[in-house]
Amino acid sequence: MSSIRRDAVSVLASDMQINSLSYLFFLVAAVAVFWCIPVGWRRPFVLVASVFFYATWNTAFVAVPFSICVAVYGASRLMIAKPAQSRRWMWMGIAMVIAVLGFFKYRNFAIANWNSLMLWFGARPLSFAAAIALPLGISFYSFEAISYLIDVRQNRLKNPRFTDLSLFIMFWPHLIAGPIVRARELMPQLSFAAKFDAKFIFEGLDRLIWGLVQKNVIANTLGAWVDAGFLSKSVRLPSTPDSWFTAIAFGLQIYFDFAGYSNIAIGTARLLGITLPENFRYPYNAANPVEFWSRWHMTLSRWVRDYLFFPLNTHFLDSRTALYTSLIGTMCLVGLWHGAGWGFVIWGALHGVYLVAYRIVEAWGVGRAWLKASATIAALRIGTLAAITAAWVPFRAASVQKAGQMLGAMFFRLSAGMHYSLGFYLFTAAIVLLCAVEPYVAQKMAAWDLAGTRPSWRIVARPLAYVCGLALFIIFDEHNAQFIYFQF
Amino acid sequence: MLDENTIRNAARETASEIVGRSVSDGQRLISSGLIDSLSILKLIGSLEKKLHIKISTDGLQPDDLDDVQLITETVQRVARPAAD
Repeated sequence: MSSIRRDAVSVLASDMQINSLSYLFFLVAAVAVFWCIPVGWRRPFVLVASVFFYATWNTAFVAVPFSICVAVYGASRLMIAKPAQSRRWMWMGIAMVIAVLGFFKYRNFAIANWNSLMLWFGARPLSFAAAIALPLGISFYSFEAISYLIDVRQNRLKNPRFTDLSLFIMFWPHLIAGPIVRARELMPQLSFAAKFDAKFIFEGLDRLIWGLVQKNVIANTLGAWVDAGFLSKSVRLPSTPDSWFTAIAFGLQIYFDFAGYSNIAIGTARLLGITLPENFRYPYNAANPVEFWSRWHMTLSRWVRDYLFFPLNTHFLDSRTALYTSLIGTMCLVGLWHGAGWGFVIWGALHGVYLVAYRIVEAWGVGRAWLKASATIAALRIGTLAAITAAWVPFRAASVQKAGQMLGAMFFRLSAGMHYSLGFYLFTAAIVLLCAVEPYVAQKMAAWDLAGTRPSWRIVARPLAYVCGLALFIIFDEHNAQFIYFQF
Repeated sequence: MLDENTIRNAARETASEIVGRSVSDGQRLISSGLIDSLSILKLIGSLEKKLHIKISTDGLQPDDLDDVQLITETVQRVARPAAD
């Protein structure tokens, strides 16, 4: 990780991480109170619980999402009051949100790059600003605030109220790392009018406990090996198989880390009777780069499509070159959204290039039967996975130079040798297998639910799975194991 | 102005061309992943050419084109004759 990212992460430690026992105690108490109090008290209760949850990390920083709510609400009222100037007020609101995000997240990155440029010209560099922690979830709730402003301008949200907006932004299950929700899909649910139903609890627990296992058992275990591989101080260059295994292990770690978080968030919301949008759909089963992005961090893809790519590119309907350039540029911004570092930008740019390359091949392949052959499709699937894995290297490496070394070992300076523990290779291979079978298992269970033909053993299996899942979560609990996406 | 059936037929035909098979009127095109970001733009461009119209995209979101019925309503709401 870059030093900027490490600084930010080091101050994020909270006693109530979403994968901690203290969070589970908070959640049990909050859900119990939520379903016992009158419906009319649920909104203020959830708002207070959300503020409390955020304050357990840093009390003073509650002011950040709250200030964004105030600014966005002010801009949206002005848009409604002065329709002729609505575009101006929307841009004012967006500028305020981006200014807050830029101040906390990109300030030192911008100064570092400016200084590199000044040194090149022989000018005096600027001094770095004092390190300030990155407010948890700022990238996520900033995007939600921007979408709110655009939706108000487009008359998709009627009669916005400050309490609705603050509940939408602050609702704790999605506050710190998404899913990135649209106001028009969450706000109608925030009346919390649903009557208690046991299915909310079962559906919520299914997702929550699976998420805890994904995070604590799979992601954390892989994370220890991945850190050793990427942060190795060894002067010896890694071998080709070790580089590939490390990159694959990181691809799996970040998937199970973020999908695990998303499942905990979706499960938490479900316990309160709320449905959040899905964020992952077996991304490593994608047959091509376009499909990967319809399965990976789906709510970010949707946001980028709706509020960035679509409005920008409706002007370039006839120019394929402009569209492709814009696609690569958009993916670079997606990379930059993840973090203030060139490794993230390179990751985004690589994905942009993959998407454009696939589009070109797809257009060229119309009418060529051999491109539809099973062997070609299988080769494309493997090529897609290899390309995605290679792109994770600059995303995770400590520096662009380190990423170059590892990519060199993966593709050009081929060398044999497997120097890590046998457990690492076996565990990584087992998780690859899990990724391959996971969609088929899920499909089978969904078919049982749809047909109402659940096998009788599921009555016993479900509580047993809960107990096993919680036991694994506790056994593998590491107090300081952060979610990777919390730093974004 | 174009009548609803002409727009609906053009919408159905264009969506089917992009998806590569026939689509029904209520079938979700974008939220289901059948049509992706670039293909949405292709859909708008094709409709503009077929119907000789200009679709004003200011205030539009991909959700407004999520099925044949929505495309028809959206085109009726925002389209104007092409300048040529």
